[in-house]
Amino acid sequence: MSDVTSLAHLTDEEKYEHFMRRIENDEKIEAEDWMPDDYREQLIKLITMHGISEIMGAFPEKEWVPKAPTLHRKLAIMAKVQDEMGHGQLLLRVAEDLLKPYGKTREDIMQDLFSKRLKFHNVFHMPSPTWGDAAVIAWLVDGAAILSQTMMLKTSYGPYGRALKRICQEESFHSKHGESLVLSLAEGTPEQRRMLQEALNRWWEPLLMFFGPKSSKETGHTNVDKNLKYKLRSKTNEELRQEFLTKYVPKIKLLGLSVPDDTLHFDEEKGEWIYQEPDWQKFKEIIKGNGPKSDERLALRRSSYENSQWVRDALAEYRMAAV
Amino acid sequence: MTPEYKEVLTELLFQLADDDFIHAFRGSEWLGLAPHIEEDVAFSSINQDTMGHAVIYYKLLEDLGMGAADDLAHLRDASAFRNGVLLEFKNGSGEYLDSPQYDWAFTVVRHLFYDVYKKIKLEALKQSNYEPLANAARKILTEQTYHLMHWQTWFRQLMQSTEESRARMEQALLRCWEDMGGVLTYGQYGDEMTALGLIGSEEALKNTWLAEITKLFSEVDYKKPSDEPKMAHGNGRNGEHSADLDHALKILSEVYRSDSQASGW
Amino acid sequence: MSQDQSTFYEEYEVFSRKKDGMPLEHRFSLLAPNAEMALILAKENFFRREPIADLWVVKRSNIRKMTQEERLAFGRLDKAYRETKGYADLVARWRAFKEKNGDQEVEIDDAGI
Ligand SMILES: [Fe+2]
Ligand SMILES: [Fe+2]
Repeated sequence: MSDVTSLAHLTDEEKYEHFMRRIENDEKIEAEDWMPDDYREQLIKLITMHGISEIMGAFPEKEWVPKAPTLHRKLAIMAKVQDEMGHGQLLLRVAEDLLKPYGKTREDIMQDLFSKRLKFHNVFHMPSPTWGDAAVIAWLVDGAAILSQTMMLKTSYGPYGRALKRICQEESFHSKHGESLVLSLAEGTPEQRRMLQEALNRWWEPLLMFFGPKSSKETGHTNVDKNLKYKLRSKTNEELRQEFLTKYVPKIKLLGLSVPDDTLHFDEEKGEWIYQEPDWQKFKEIIKGNGPKSDERLALRRSSYENSQWVRDALAEYRMAAV
Repeated sequence: MTPEYKEVLTELLFQLADDDFIHAFRGSEWLGLAPHIEEDVAFSSINQDTMGHAVIYYKLLEDLGMGAADDLAHLRDASAFRNGVLLEFKNGSGEYLDSPQYDWAFTVVRHLFYDVYKKIKLEALKQSNYEPLANAARKILTEQTYHLMHWQTWFRQLMQSTEESRARMEQALLRCWEDMGGVLTYGQYGDEMTALGLIGSEEALKNTWLAEITKLFSEVDYKKPSDEPKMAHGNGRNGEHSADLDHALKILSEVYRSDSQASGW
Repeated sequence: MSQDQSTFYEEYEVFSRKKDGMPLEHRFSLLAPNAEMALILAKENFFRREPIADLWVVKRSNIRKMTQEERLAFGRLDKAYRETKGYADLVARWRAFKEKNGDQEVEIDDAGI
């Protein structure tokens, strides 16, 4: 741990230098370590959004839990959605520890969610009207999430890295589950194939949006820049989107499905995918909580939370009685 | 296997399968809506276990030539279902995607009642002379300890805290007591089930349940509402059900029924 | 929100033992109102795939952790005199005796005699 033997006498500037040296040496920062406010705030922004997205991500799929066509599918999608709630739990715990110096708890995170101050991923604001959507979500939304989560596995913040490691292990089941759903529909009747193609059409733009607007070098997006500087992440939004296209476009074509973008092609000279830019204005609106399903899903979360306040009150009371 | 034995055996297997299937479905509707994130995750495991148990029983029926397990779960009419009516009741008012006003107290009590009974029943089924069923019971029992621990913890804590909680729990206890009788019964073929050596007597199991539940009640200073639980809304073992079951089956089979040409999903 | 939220959201650290005979390992943390509840929640939150043999929950406020400053106390110099690697010369010295006395009986391996 470099040449510092005591932190107590360092100025803030020296602490910052020491901290940045730790980052550069690929040391892991732990919850109680000294960290610049800027680092803490970036982490809080990133991890609360990630955590709450996992929780809100349960809703578009939840609809299909009881409707899943077979007993096996019912069990598998239940397990998958449960994992997502579990990811939310792991990540919120990491965020909650970071929020401590501000005196905030999970309760505040929930209230921030309800008031739309806390954002969640664009994809979870979208409708999922058919079983085909459940398949495309599990294959491609999870596929996109896996790319960005794997990219962050080496993150400089220790607790986040440990949570991500576990999450990525579970995501490997999600991607198998997703592939299995998609393959069954693709192998199926014309009706099943139509259901799959329509779902893909619905999800294509949200999927491209998922990675966020082009960043740093392209547009000078500061959050991504900071996250790169602090080694919270190692790739830009566009790099991830390109990876996604490279990984999935050939598979989509192999299944005989079409991508709803006539301009999509790989430019050999530039060595990158050319695609129809998603509507970033629309993206902004969705993220703000003005997507097609934002209000409905937030209402669902809020009403169930308020509805069960008596349960939390009762348990808090029971604990005190037992002491 | 005589035709009579087979008929009574399938009747029992449908009761076991349908109880777990419908109960797991009601539990799974809570996904994303439980009172606490950690509980949401834990509860979902119980629902998966329970639906897994239903699958085991449907497979036993499939092996007896009653049809594919998936068809049995998804294509029968409500009148063919043999679950206790208590298990099919909605979790509360509203739909699971549209302003659900789910009742956690009802869920805790219903699960406690059911899981205490399920453990007793599985212990009895270990002695069944239908070997595949005895084996299934042994397997399923391994997961039952946790379920009981989980619901007993909830029950004890909610019964011994705030006044509001106590009142809600007592209301739920009354409601579940009204129809738990329909879970404890074996239905019209009950005597034959026991006479053929498939399962211990209905009376004996019911008394064990009453003894265990009374013990739990006394721990939290509660007296049972009457001598025995009732069967106020019909005997599901004989195919009598509420509108809640029709509704549930429509949801459960919506996709499975949607494409009659489909050979796989 | 009629209650003080902090009494519901207590922090519990979760430890598990993979198999009998293995050491206890720290895993994750969760929020629960009391230890009983923490225990039943921990099992399915963290061990729904991997088998475990034992599970502990500890209220975080009962753990005396170290600060970053205190962790600097782990720095120390090499102490070869208390490690086996500080005694790497023994084999050669045994060999020297063996050659000197022409002894064929005593076997000498890396661990000395
Ligand atoms: Fe996830
Ligand atoms: Fe996932």
